Amino acid sequence: MSDDILGGEGFLTTRVDAVVNWARSNSLMPMPMGLACCAIEMMAFAAPKYDVARFGSEAMRFSPRQADLMIVAGWVSYKMAHAVRRVWDQMADPKWCIAMGACASTGGMHRCYGVVQGCDNFLPVDVYIPGCPPRPEAVIHALMDIQEKVRNQHSVATDAHEGKGAAEPMPLRPRILTPSGDSSITPARLYGTEEG
Amino acid sequence: MSKLEFHFTPVDEPSEAEATQNPHAKDTTFNPEVVQALQTEFGEDVKEVFLYANEHTVYVSKDRIVDVCRFLKEEQGFTYLVDLGGIDRFTDEDRYEVFYNLVNIKTSKRLRLKTRIDEESGSLPSVTGVFRAAGWNEREAFDMFGLHFEGHQDLRRMYMPEDFEYHPLRKEFPLLGVPGSLPLPPQTPEAGLTLDPFAAAHGSKPIKSYEEAASEE
Repeated sequence: MSDDILGGEGFLTTRVDAVVNWARSNSLMPMPMGLACCAIEMMAFAAPKYDVARFGSEAMRFSPRQADLMIVAGWVSYKMAHAVRRVWDQMADPKWCIAMGACASTGGMHRCYGVVQGCDNFLPVDVYIPGCPPRPEAVIHALMDIQEKVRNQHSVATDAHEGKGAAEPMPLRPRILTPSGDSSITPARLYGTEEG
Repeated sequence: MSKLEFHFTPVDEPSEAEATQNPHAKDTTFNPEVVQALQTEFGEDVKEVFLYANEHTVYVSKDRIVDVCRFLKEEQGFTYLVDLGGIDRFTDEDRYEVFYNLVNIKTSKRLRLKTRIDEESGSLPSVTGVFRAAGWNEREAFDMFGLHFEGHQDLRRMYMPEDFEYHPLRKEFPLLGVPGSLPLPPQTPEAGLTLDPFAAAHGSKPIKSYEEAASEE
């Protein structure tokens, strides 16, 4: 890295993907598919104590047209599965899915004739949360995993250069920007108040 | 208060103390006057009177169940049908059982009625003419056990899809169900939906509860 990465030029260069993914990952709008007791924990996840507004996902959208993250919270019966699938089909791309809790992930304790043994039987689930029910922190962690996945998608550039059949890149851990000890970046340089 | 211990199974005869003592309940379930009135009125059709934990259970023959319910409602004041449901005893004779929990609100008394149905007939008279609230409970018992309640105005399945072919609470029904008996949604994005979840929004018109036929009274 050169010293003048931010120095005095007034612009920075990035990829379209990075900007798009930054915007998408910090404004995920969950579709709360609350089917059982997990939905109560999902309310705590959105409420002030755990405050998912810190992650930009406090706007629960009950219309599938406005949502891009479905949280399946609770056991899915065979009758309900068709409605869940219809709602999922109504959500606009790109969209992601969290299976919240043991029941949504595997059927859980409802090992019986009327309950689908895991909502991945009919939905492309991105993140599974264990627990019965999971704590709100676990839901936040799942949301952060979704954010990580969104940040590492190469939608625009991959489509432009390699076509739509390109393989998805391996997910990376989130890159957290922390002060690295590089003394060349100071608030004074960053905000352009330094002389010279 | 003593710890609740279960050392009685229906195979054993309850001892004197087990039959009459129930530290966990009040005397609302002990009503010998009503049992006496039933025995006087219906004689042989009151098949057995069972007392356990100070609770009376009256077994009546299924042909007289409507008359028994009407007698209890009109003569004895048991105006409130709390619950009704089926039981699969999985025995050779009289396999199914239907229970009726009744409450007399004025005297705070409870009574449990039971009637037994053999597997061959699988049918019994409906009590919806006496207690209109029994409608949905009888639909549930029909759905889960396949019991046919004769005289029920609208004996459709309560919970399972209408084209489901089994009765899932029967003992011989496998716990995880019959594979393929309930349709799953399609597993690929391109495939069409396999069942319309919002049938009413697309023109199907099931009967609303307020459109059901009125009871006899």
